[in-house]
Amino acid sequence: MNPLPGFATPRDWLLAAAAVTVAAPLLGGGLAAVGVAARAPRRLAVVTAGIALTATLVMVAAWHLSDGTPVGFGETLGDGRLVFIDGLTTALLPYVALISMAILLVAPRRALDPASVRRALLGLAATCAVFLTSHPWALVVLWVATAQSTWRATRVFPGGRPAARVYAIYMSLACVCMAAGTFMLVADPPWSRSSGLTGTAGGWLVAVAVMIRKGIVPFHSWHPALFSGAPMSTALSAAMPQIGAYTAVRLLVGHADGVAVELEVLAIFGLLTAVYGAALSLVQRDLRSFIGTFSMSQSAIILAGLSGRLPMELNGAFCIWISSGLAITGIGLVTWALESRAGDISLETLQGRFWDAPALAAFFLLFGLAAIGLPGTLSFVADDLIVSGSLDDHLSAGLMVIGSTVLGGIAVMRCWFHVFGGPSPVDSPRHAILRREQVPLTILIGMLFGLGLWPGPLVQALERAAEGVLRTTPTHAASAHPGPHAAAQDGSLPAPETPDSSPPAP
Amino acid sequence: MNLHAALSALVVCQVAAPALALVAIGLPALVGRAPSEPFTRRVVGSGFGVAFVAALITLATLAARGFRPEEVHLGSWFSVGHHEATIDLVADALSVPYVCFSTGLCLLVNLFAGKYLHREPGFTRFFLLLALFGVGMNLMVLAGSIDVLFAGWEFVGISSTLLIGFFLERGNATRAALRAFTTYRICDVGLLAASVVIHRAVGSGDFERLFGIDWPNGRCLVPATTATIISLLLVFAALGKTAQVPFSGWLPRAMEGPTPSSAIFYGALSIHAGAYVLLRCEALLENAPLAKALLIVIGTWTALHASFVGKVQTDLKSVLAYASMTQASLILVEIGLGWRVIPLIHVVGHAIVRSLQILRSPSALHDRHELEAALGGHPGPGGLWPVSLLPASWQQAIYRVALERGYEEMLIGRLVVGPVLRLLDRAAIAEKRWNRWLSGDSSRGSR
Repeated sequence: MNPLPGFATPRDWLLAAAAVTVAAPLLGGGLAAVGVAARAPRRLAVVTAGIALTATLVMVAAWHLSDGTPVGFGETLGDGRLVFIDGLTTALLPYVALISMAILLVAPRRALDPASVRRALLGLAATCAVFLTSHPWALVVLWVATAQSTWRATRVFPGGRPAARVYAIYMSLACVCMAAGTFMLVADPPWSRSSGLTGTAGGWLVAVAVMIRKGIVPFHSWHPALFSGAPMSTALSAAMPQIGAYTAVRLLVGHADGVAVELEVLAIFGLLTAVYGAALSLVQRDLRSFIGTFSMSQSAIILAGLSGRLPMELNGAFCIWISSGLAITGIGLVTWALESRAGDISLETLQGRFWDAPALAAFFLLFGLAAIGLPGTLSFVADDLIVSGSLDDHLSAGLMVIGSTVLGGIAVMRCWFHVFGGPSPVDSPRHAILRREQVPLTILIGMLFGLGLWPGPLVQALERAAEGVLRTTPTHAASAHPGPHAAAQDGSLPAPETPDSSPPAP
Repeated sequence: MNLHAALSALVVCQVAAPALALVAIGLPALVGRAPSEPFTRRVVGSGFGVAFVAALITLATLAARGFRPEEVHLGSWFSVGHHEATIDLVADALSVPYVCFSTGLCLLVNLFAGKYLHREPGFTRFFLLLALFGVGMNLMVLAGSIDVLFAGWEFVGISSTLLIGFFLERGNATRAALRAFTTYRICDVGLLAASVVIHRAVGSGDFERLFGIDWPNGRCLVPATTATIISLLLVFAALGKTAQVPFSGWLPRAMEGPTPSSAIFYGALSIHAGAYVLLRCEALLENAPLAKALLIVIGTWTALHASFVGKVQTDLKSVLAYASMTQASLILVEIGLGWRVIPLIHVVGHAIVRSLQILRSPSALHDRHELEAALGGHPGPGGLWPVSLLPASWQQAIYRVALERGYEEMLIGRLVVGPVLRLLDRAAIAEKRWNRWLSGDSSRGSR
């Protein structure tokens, strides 16, 4: 039944919105490249990102009006489609568009020259495209495109060459592993009955690629380096969408039976990184390094949750994906705003910045508390789900998540007191927060607290997405590898089974 | 409206009123329009006032029906699979009198602080944090599930930390705040782990599934092993907020905060939060002799420690901090001995006396002069201190130990904190060196 009589079906809306989500920033980037709006690059960037954000919201609405059947379009390879929209896509794309919009709004004027805007918008288009595909080769190409965009932006940043080089080394390795692993996975899927050594090696290579891309120990050192040496917008845009985690969901988590050991190893290293990153953030001596190590820890918890076998763990991982992304983006943006007023900020001594920028201090504190699981915020819900889920699986996993949360909390408060505590620097002027900073920061905070106080709809949507991802496993375990380029007849993928696994009524 | 609905509304009001005050002050402050001093004081005062009146009416209603507990289920916060976080509050013989007492104290401190902090730059911030504390305290006290209790517990912790560091321009205040937060956070592991164990044991965080809510005659509904594990975790959580050895170092430093917050946090309410949680879960403790023994040992040790160390302090607030620590330790010993009503009376009595002493501490010299004027001279030496009966060399040794705060902090610093931080520092340096090598950056420097 068409719920929008006189209009196209929700499927058409979904595909049209998906096209706009990618095309708008692509077009904006093109316009910036040819010099349109050279005098008002921020306006071009914000309008373009705004169109993309609106399109993602249309996609959410259309998804909820649809019958919950994943929508596929274009070429098929294995179980991947060139354009693929399911519950996970509609949950994560608005988040990606929102943080991009916030970054463009808060960016200081000097960071938004036409060339930066071009890179930012093309990067946004590539990132959105990642979240709209499950096609293995499309993922490989987009990995390269997004990594190249980040590398370029870091390289041209004053003093950014060392970080760009570290990033390039790690990402080259990641892209090679990803391409080789994908090739092997496609040739010999480990979840098919006749799988051999090639498929197993492919699974391991993709797992290693994900570890590198996500900054998991021992492949993590690019992560803090990028935050220290790249523009804040570049670091946040590269790290917060979690392209590595998305790839893990599409290529590994959906086939947990075939790559169980790889997922187990990813979980172990994810947990180690979560604790190690949080511990390292305790001793960082400048604000950017702190954000780098802290975000590394938070991002690793996502991987630990994704590697679980329970919808609750997956749900917790998706929640942390969104909550930590919003919170760390907020911390990063406040840091950027502070740096634009006061330069680099050390954590070795008390900086006394509270008296210069009390509003930014309040935002930093709120984002920090939202990142460490303050009750009433989305991260509290996420931590609760992931800890409970992990403990159902392994006691030690849950304890490590608790450990990383505790260490991260201490690190955040240490950072806040070091940045804002202490006597005010002599003759430091009092900086009022700008409207273009205040509005996005308030929206991000509002989302973190709003979704924390009323998490039901989001948690249910993510639970359906988690069940959809996990449900892929038996389908593929049961059927032989369908072979490449086996296009579906009607463009839609099989509908998920209905809700015998929905949560019991309270 | 039936009695249940009316009581539910009253119970919700005790949390919602200070929460609304928090929002009414916090939102304008966040968008850069901090309200005026009189408005701030009145809004927060009204929040506490409404909550106090609601608590008194609830108390009277409960008393009229023999303190039969009233459970208020506000529904499910969120649920996934078999895991459900519920919002449950409970009004019983423990929670409602405690809310009357805590909200009443908050109201008085609100009145006192309005004058005391007049024209202080952080006036609005103080009242915001006081309102947050009120919300947290009432949530914690009225909690009918571990999830709600944990939420309240965290609000109390964060407001306490930010009030210790209220005078941000003072380095000592920020360091003291960080120290307190670190201690809280480490001990919060106990409550978080207890929450997980409870969820696994009974499928939700509801206390009614864990023990019958009929304070002080609750009946444990879980096996003794589970009760022991949960109790030990709760005891660990309580050690931090109650400043027990080896987590006591933060309390004397916490007096860096403004006097009104010191009074309500470390003289009255926050310092007893751990004791309240243990009293709430007394039915579990009853089945956990190991946890009770631990409470008695740690409580006695801390009482002796605080009593000795407090005797050699040279400033009034530190003396009062150690006096608070001594009494809080004795309360834990009483709980460990299986008493129920006596610790509650002890908490209320101690909180009232100590908060009054701390609130008067800035005027201590003035009070002393008035006393001497009224007596017509020096009031004379205090009572006999048993240590003075010991040989002089022993007295000196005890004095030195007390002056060094029992070497507790030094030992923890040298054996735990120092090595861990050094190890992390080395790891951070190694990370930087590795990145420098990768990037071909030849510049020198350790970091």
